[in-house]
Amino acid sequence: MSDIGKVRLRVPPSIKSGDVVQVRSLVIHPMERIERDPQGKIIQKNYNYINKVIVTYLGKTVATFDTTQSVAENPFFSFTFKATDPGQLKVQFLDTTGGRYEGVADIKFS
Amino acid sequence: MLEHEGGRNVTQAMSLTDGHDVTRRKMLIALGALGVAAAGGLAATPGIAHGQTLGQNESVEEALKRLFGGKTIKDGSAAIKLDVPLIAENGAVVPVSVTVDSPMTPTSWVKQIYVVADKNRIPVVTRVTLAPEAGRAFMGANIRLGESGDVRAIVEQSDGTLLQVKREVKVTVGGCGG
Repeated sequence: MSDIGKVRLRVPPSIKSGDVVQVRSLVIHPMERIERDPQGKIIQKNYNYINKVIVTYLGKTVATFDTTQSVAENPFFSFTFKATDPGQLKVQFLDTTGGRYEGVADIKFS
Repeated sequence: MLEHEGGRNVTQAMSLTDGHDVTRRKMLIALGALGVAAAGGLAATPGIAHGQTLGQNESVEEALKRLFGGKTIKDGSAAIKLDVPLIAENGAVVPVSVTVDSPMTPTSWVKQIYVVADKNRIPVVTRVTLAPEAGRAFMGANIRLGESGDVRAIVEQSDGTLLQVKREVKVTVGGCGG
């Protein structure tokens, strides 16, 4: 429970300017699935799941994931971006209960 | 007592015993109630409304109709590479990745990648909106599959063309309540 919202970002160790870099991200989150009562009726409630992932690099949005409950528990996403300048890569995860989880990686050239 | 449908996903990060699960569920219901209260107070929780419009309990035909209207979707097997396992032992975690052959320049890029699982009760899994700065039209995610069926990747290019590929995945243990 206390782990909810822990974000892990993995960026390759050496990046050169102009590279297209693949990043892997993971957030610890239950991604609740739809529950049904014994009669098979869907229980109407606000299910807690991630429904948006926003990737920004140098303050610009590179990719946005709109996700549904069909995404696995502890969701993992990967994406690419073009490394043009050193700076900050930020991944934000938003869930349906207003939770906001963030992972940041500093992009440096070697 | 509520019932979880499908197989329970026990991952390394969250291996929960039944006892824990109940407390977690209670906790989450409480959290959910808080969320609803917050949504009532603030009109601006766009995320919630958005999630509901994208992921609905519907058939895949309805979903495609809702998302793309009557637009024709062409076969994109030449341009799209959809990477899914042939057999998914655990439907709760199925790795999927989509790579599209695209120059990704400001004049021609892949605008959106949809991942759709035909047999899921919520067929639309994710919609990825890309900017040309992504450098490559690529996305990867772990998804849930309720049962064996087609998984499709539908790509919308910047000029509005729709392309799709599908692959069948056999699921040994379903993992999707949705």
